[in-house]
Amino acid sequence: MKSVDPREWSINQKLALVALSLGAFALLGSPTPGGAVTLNTQELAAIVESEVDHVTAEELAEWIAEGRSDYRLLDVRDADSYAEYHIPSAEPVTMRELNDYPLFRSEKIVLYSDGGIHSAQAWFLLRARGFAGSTILLGGLHAWMDDVLFPDLSADASLDQVASVERRRALSELFGGKPRSGSADAEPAKAKLPTVAPPAAVSVPKRRKRPHKEGC
Amino acid sequence: MTTAREPAPYMNPYLAGLGLGLVLLTAFVLMGRGLGASGAFSTIVAVGVDALAPAHATGNDFYLGYLENGFGGPFKSFLMFEVIGVLIGGFISGALAGRVRRTVERGPRMSAPGRIAFAIFGGALMGFGAKLAGGCTSGQGLSGGAVLGLGSWTFMLMVFVGGYAGAYFMRRQWK
Amino acid sequence: MSAPFYKYGLFGDEMSLILAAVIGIGFGFFLERAGFGSSKKLVAQFYFTDMAVFKVMFSAIVTAMLGLFYLSWAGLVDLSMVFVPPTYWLPQLVGGLVLGFGFIIGGYCPGTSLVGVATGRLDALAFCGGVFGGIFAYGEAYPAIASFVKSTPMDRITLDEWLGVSMGAIVFAVVLVAVLGFWGATTVERKLARREVEASV
Repeated sequence: MKSVDPREWSINQKLALVALSLGAFALLGSPTPGGAVTLNTQELAAIVESEVDHVTAEELAEWIAEGRSDYRLLDVRDADSYAEYHIPSAEPVTMRELNDYPLFRSEKIVLYSDGGIHSAQAWFLLRARGFAGSTILLGGLHAWMDDVLFPDLSADASLDQVASVERRRALSELFGGKPRSGSADAEPAKAKLPTVAPPAAVSVPKRRKRPHKEGC
Repeated sequence: MTTAREPAPYMNPYLAGLGLGLVLLTAFVLMGRGLGASGAFSTIVAVGVDALAPAHATGNDFYLGYLENGFGGPFKSFLMFEVIGVLIGGFISGALAGRVRRTVERGPRMSAPGRIAFAIFGGALMGFGAKLAGGCTSGQGLSGGAVLGLGSWTFMLMVFVGGYAGAYFMRRQWK
Repeated sequence: MSAPFYKYGLFGDEMSLILAAVIGIGFGFFLERAGFGSSKKLVAQFYFTDMAVFKVMFSAIVTAMLGLFYLSWAGLVDLSMVFVPPTYWLPQLVGGLVLGFGFIIGGYCPGTSLVGVATGRLDALAFCGGVFGGIFAYGEAYPAIASFVKSTPMDRITLDEWLGVSMGAIVFAVVLVAVLGFWGATTVERKLARREVEASV
């Protein structure tokens, strides 16, 4: 026989009361499932203006060559384009998949697409969800081809530029490209794109093919 | 550890559930993931298959998923370490309550070898079912249930349906 | 908002493994406290004589669910970073049924069998052996059944998203169903206990 006096209730009854109260109060609450990120458009604009959210193709090439693994490289183009060619170590993520793609909020994320439009849109989507480490590969895959795979090294190099020219040549070869020299050499045809598999010389950092299992 | 003393009574189920729930909540807050058990079993199976037939294991997506998991080796994964903890925690609690005892638990009408045979067969069904469902009662039921996963609740409902449906046929083992 | 701590980079992989073991100790401890190292205690659930499985499981779910809900409401936990097992509806339905049969036949589930092993139950040890065998059979069958395993994919979907209601409403419904279930389970247990006493007189 239940007593009206709560002090005489059993521990089970008290627990039930607490649970029901918390449950009922939950009806009023609405935690945003996407994480309560307040979007500061002013701040975003400032980031865009100062261009600190960019990584150049050459920087990225150096990172890969050095074997750095403190960032994630995401290819936001469609699956077919990815299969045709992608930058070594990139993970394929279509725009649609991006929302559910397992990323950490603390990670440095480099996005690229063909040009820069899709990656910029993906950058905004991620930023809006609080992924503060999102960056864009400046110029996208086009820049990667022009500056890393097929760099134009024909310009007369002054002495202090020689080293950098050599470095760029090395990088180009590392990724299976071919430096252009002189205007005689026409734009490289698309067919010249290296195969997906990077040449053996590149020690691409071993990247998790898939994120760590979180289920059983 | 056979003790003469009478085993202590079990904890109030709601308080035990509260404790379990707080452990689960801790896992969510610290790691962003829940608890599990069958994944650790799978890891051991995958590593075993890989040791005996490496080409066979890496050619199978299921095994490969476990072999590629972990921070440098499949055993250095969350679930493996968690499961070692479960063994330790279970022993601590059992020892404190005087419940550690070498025995074969069975119903009054069941022989020990018969019980062992049923345990192996039931375990096999459990292993297969857990992999089909993507988790067992811990990973899918408890953890997925607390985060309100649709599949997890479907799964949990069916576990009870299966258990109650099978109970009639198994009464000779338990009653 | 900085939880889940691991996914916000507050500690690294090595630390996460240490925490995994500590979390596991707590998990195993409370499973054993509840009596889940004993197969007879576990299967009593399915004969309505001792509904501890339901009571413990749902108390734990309610506790963790309420905790997550309020912590995320307070802005402390980022729910989008908390893992929700992806839904593959049909395989999970079938898998749950197979697992339920395995439960009543074998007397344990994978987690509780470990606690059974830790407290000396030889049937739990045999059960573990069976689990290895079942997973191996699944692994070997996987290439053939992979298309079924991946069927009816619904990704990460929660009950509130599926029903199109607020998360708070589902939280309340779960608590209500659980408390009513506890009351019903206890009533059934008492009735059966009384009947057994009468039968033995």
